[in-house]
Amino acid sequence: MYAKLIFRNAKRSAKDYLVYIVTMTICVMLFYGFLSITSKYYNPDVGTEYEFTLVSDGLKMAICAVTLLLLFLIRYVNNYMLRRKQKEFAIQSVMGMEQKTVAWIFFAETFLMGAVSILIGIFLGVFCSQFITGMLLSAYGKDYKLSWTLFPDTVSLTICFFAISLLAVGLFNVRTIRKIKIIDMLYADKQNEPNIRKSRYMPVISVLYAIILLLAAVTGISQMYYYSDPRFPIPVHIMFWGNIIAPAVSFLLSVVWCVAHKKWSFNRYVLAAAVLSLANIGFAASVPVIQKKYMLSSGAGTLNKYLMFLLVYVIFWICCTIYLASNLLSEWKEESPEHKYRGTNLFFFGQIISKLHTTSKTMTLICLTFVLAVFLFVAAPALTGWASGYLEVRSLYDVQICTRYNDVYKTEDLPKDNYELITSFLDEKNIAVAYDCTFNLYLPNQEDFHKRMKWDFPVVAISLSDYNALRKMLGYEPISLNEGEFTTQWQTIATEEERSEFLLNHTVLSTDMGTLSLAENAYHLEAIGETVYNSYTDVIYIFPDSICGDLLAVMRDRYVRTETAIPYNEAIHLENAFVQKYPETPDNGNGVQYYIRTSTQQINSTIAGNFILQATFVYSAVVLMVICLTILSLQQLLDAAHYKYRFGVLRKLGVDRHETEHLILKQLAVWFGLPIAAAAFVSIIVAAYFFETISEEISAYIGVGALLTQVGIMICILVILLTCYFISTWILFQKSVTE
Amino acid sequence: MKEILRLEHIQKYYGNQGNITKAINDISFSISEGEFAGIMGASGSGKTTLLNCISTIDTVSAGHIYLDGGDVTEIKEKELARFRRENLGFIFQDFNLLDTLTISENIALALTIHHVPAHEIEGKVAEMAGTLNITDILDKYPYQVSGGQKQRCACARAMINKPKLLLADEPTGALDSHSSQMLLSTMQSINKQLGATILMVTHDAFSASYANRILFLRDGMIFTEILKGGDSRKAFFEKILDVLTMLGGGQSDVR
Repeated sequence: MYAKLIFRNAKRSAKDYLVYIVTMTICVMLFYGFLSITSKYYNPDVGTEYEFTLVSDGLKMAICAVTLLLLFLIRYVNNYMLRRKQKEFAIQSVMGMEQKTVAWIFFAETFLMGAVSILIGIFLGVFCSQFITGMLLSAYGKDYKLSWTLFPDTVSLTICFFAISLLAVGLFNVRTIRKIKIIDMLYADKQNEPNIRKSRYMPVISVLYAIILLLAAVTGISQMYYYSDPRFPIPVHIMFWGNIIAPAVSFLLSVVWCVAHKKWSFNRYVLAAAVLSLANIGFAASVPVIQKKYMLSSGAGTLNKYLMFLLVYVIFWICCTIYLASNLLSEWKEESPEHKYRGTNLFFFGQIISKLHTTSKTMTLICLTFVLAVFLFVAAPALTGWASGYLEVRSLYDVQICTRYNDVYKTEDLPKDNYELITSFLDEKNIAVAYDCTFNLYLPNQEDFHKRMKWDFPVVAISLSDYNALRKMLGYEPISLNEGEFTTQWQTIATEEERSEFLLNHTVLSTDMGTLSLAENAYHLEAIGETVYNSYTDVIYIFPDSICGDLLAVMRDRYVRTETAIPYNEAIHLENAFVQKYPETPDNGNGVQYYIRTSTQQINSTIAGNFILQATFVYSAVVLMVICLTILSLQQLLDAAHYKYRFGVLRKLGVDRHETEHLILKQLAVWFGLPIAAAAFVSIIVAAYFFETISEEISAYIGVGALLTQVGIMICILVILLTCYFISTWILFQKSVTE
Repeated sequence: MKEILRLEHIQKYYGNQGNITKAINDISFSISEGEFAGIMGASGSGKTTLLNCISTIDTVSAGHIYLDGGDVTEIKEKELARFRRENLGFIFQDFNLLDTLTISENIALALTIHHVPAHEIEGKVAEMAGTLNITDILDKYPYQVSGGQKQRCACARAMINKPKLLLADEPTGALDSHSSQMLLSTMQSINKQLGATILMVTHDAFSASYANRILFLRDGMIFTEILKGGDSRKAFFEKILDVLTMLGGGQSDVR
C-alpha cells in the first residue's frame, strides 16, 4: 500500500516538479560528462609528447567542488516541496498515519524522483562525454573518433555523489517533518511568508560591510604612509586619498545612522550607503589599473586585498539594490496615482512588491550567481586565448635558457657559462640539434647596473650577429646595421604609443663605447621569445658587433632548436638536471637566477591548463546559470497555487482572459528581468574592467575581433538558455493559473 | 417596481448520458429593482449552481436569464468579463480579497478595472468606506483586520461600481455571530439607502431573515417562496423556520 502511495505521489510530483527533474538531469549529465574524462579507463590518443594526467587530476577536483553547489539547489527544491505538501502530510497524519511514516514516504518519493534523474542524466552524460572528448582532442590537435563507453568508476562516482546528496537532504527533511505539529501543517498555506523587513538579514550585512569599510580605510592609510611619495602624479594621489576617504565616509555614515537611527529610516541609510558604495567601487577598482600604469610598488598581497574589497563593495551594492527595489517601487506607486490606478496596475504592483518583500535575499543570491556565471562565460575565452597566444610567443625554441641579474650586486658574479649540460644531454638522448645559439645581453652604460627600481630597469642590448642568428633560427630574414647606428626589437605586448614615445626620446643613444644614432629602420616587431628582454622592459637594443665586446654583459642565454620534439619525459628530466646544477632561486652564492624552459613542457602545461580552465569555467557557468534559472522559475511555478487564487479573484471582478495573460507575462518579465538586468549591469562593468586590465594582452595575443566573436558566442548561449527557461516557465505558469 | 432580473425555465444538468444529475430543474422567478431577496435550501438543493448561472460563471443547460432586459445566456464568451464588470457585484463566503493589497487598494481595484479616471478613485473609495464604516482600516492589509471587516471591505468592493445586481454567496459563512449581524445590517442599509438590488444565497435562517423575500429550493426546484411584507424581522424569522421544518422534516436540514 505504502509503495503504491509512494509511486503515485512521485508520479504526480514529477509533473509538478518537472523543472527540478530536468535540472537535476542536466546537472548529472554535465557531471558525468566532464568527470568521464578523468576516468582511469579513459585513454584518448594525445601522443607521446603530451602527458594527460595533468588534466585529469586538476579537472576532477574542480568538477567536484563546483558540483557541491548543486546541493544548494537540491536543498532549495526540497524545502519548497516540503512547504507545498504540508497540508497533505497533515491529512495523512490526521487519518492516523504516524508522522514517522509520513516522513519516510516523502523521503522515498523524492529519492525516487532523484534516482530517475540520475539514470537519465548518466545516459545523456555518455553523449556529453563524447562532446567533451571532441573538445579535448581538438585542443591537442588530434582527430576525433566516436567511442561509446560507460566508465564504471565515473558511473559509481556519479551515483555515489548524487545519492549521498539526496540522502543527506532527504534525512534532513525526515527530521523536519517529524518535528512539525499537525496543526501547523494544516494551516501551513495560511501563514504569511516571513517579512524581510523584520528579518535581520540587511542589518547584519550592513554591520559586516561597516567592518570591511573600517579595514579598507585602515589599509588605505597604511598604504599612504608606507608607499606614497609627493613626486607621484596626481592620479596616484587621487587613488591613495580616495581609498582612505571613501571607505571612511561610508563607515562614518554607518556610525551616524546608528546614533541617529530614530530620525532617519533604515531604508534611507541603505540608499545612501549604496550610492557611496559606488564611489568605493570606483576607487578600489582604480588600484590595479594605476599600479600597473605607474608601476607602483606596494606591500605583498595588497592587490588581492583591494580586489577583495572590490568584491565586497559590488556584493553590497547588489544587496542594496535588490533590497531597495520593492521600496522604491512602493514609493513610486504611492507618489504617482496616475500609474497606480491605471487598469490592473494596482494588482500588478501588489504581486511584484509582495514577492520582492519576501524574496530579496534569494534574489540577491541569484543576481550574484548570475554575475559570476556571466563572468566565467566571458572570461574563459579571454584567458584561454591569452594563454594560447602567449604560448606562441614564448615557446619559440625547444630549449630556452635565460638568466636574470636582479639580485647580482658584483659585476664579477655575472653569468659566463655556456651550459654544456644541454649539449651532452641532447647527444645522450640522440636528439639532433638544428640550431643552437648562446649569446650575451649587454648594458649600454655600465653605471646602470645598479638601477633596480621597477620603473628604472635599463634596456639591454644584443649584438647584431646574435640577433641575426636568432632570426635565422625562427626563419626571419637577417637585418643589417651601419657602424654608429642602433635599432630596436619590441615585445608583442608593447603598444604602439609606448613604442613611438620611446623612439622619439631615443634617437641618439650614448653608450660606454660612444654615441649611436637610431637607424632608419628603427624597430622590429617579430616575436623572438620573451626571455631576451630585461625585467620590466618590452624592448632591446641591437648594436653593431664592434662595440658589444667592450660593454658589460649582464645576462647569458642559450636557445636551442631540435630536429624533433623532445618527448615529455625527457623534457622533464632535462629540466630537473638543469635545475640541480643551476638553481632558479638566487641563493647559489652570486645571486644569478637561471631559468630553463622546454617547449614540450610549455605546450603541455598550457594546453592542459587551458583545457582545465575552459572546461571548469564553462561547466561552472552552465551549472550556476541552470541553478539560477531553475530557482527563478520554480519560485513562480511553486507559488502558482497562490496566484491561481489571486487571478481567480481578478477574473471574478470582471478582468478578461486576454488581460490576465498580459498580466502574467508582465509579472514574469519583471521577475526574470529584475535580477537579470541588475546582474547584466554589474556583469558589463565587471567584464569591461576585466578586459581593460588585460587589454594589452588581448591585443597582443588574441586580437579584439577574435575575442568579441568568442564572447558573442558565449552571450548567445546565455540568451538561448534564458529564453528557453523563460518560455517554459511562462507556458507552465499560464497553464497552472488559468486551468 | 421595475423588474431587474428574470429567470425563465432554467435547467442545469451535470454528468453524461445515462447518468444525469439535474442540479436545477426548471426554475423561473423574477426580482425587482431594489429588492433584497434570499435563496435558501439544503446542501445540494442547487443554490450555488443557480447563483453561478446568474453570475455567468457557469452556463445553463436550458432556459433564459434576463438582466435588465438583456439575455445573459446569449452573451459571447469574450463579452462575459465586461458584462460581469459592468453589471454585477460579488460577495463571497471567503471574502476573496487580495492579500497583496491594502483594504483601500482592494476596493480601488474594482474601480481601476472599470477604467475610472485616477483622480476620482480615492474620493470614491473614501466615500464608500465611510458608508460601510471601514475608514480607519483602509491602509491595513487583509491579514491585519477581522473577518467582519474583511467582508465589509468585500461589500464595498462589490458596491463601488454601483452594480445592477449584488450577488452574495453565503456572505456570513465564515463570520462569528456578531460580525454576521454587523454585515447583515450593512447589507440591509445599502439595500435601503443606496437602493441596491441584492440576491443572497444562505443556509442560515437568521441571515435570511434580513431579506425581504425568500425563495426555498429543494432538489433543484422552487419549493416555496415567502415575503416579509409588513412583518417584523422576528416574525419573519419564525416563518422561515416553519418553512424549513416543512421543507426538510425538521431542523436537521439547517446546518
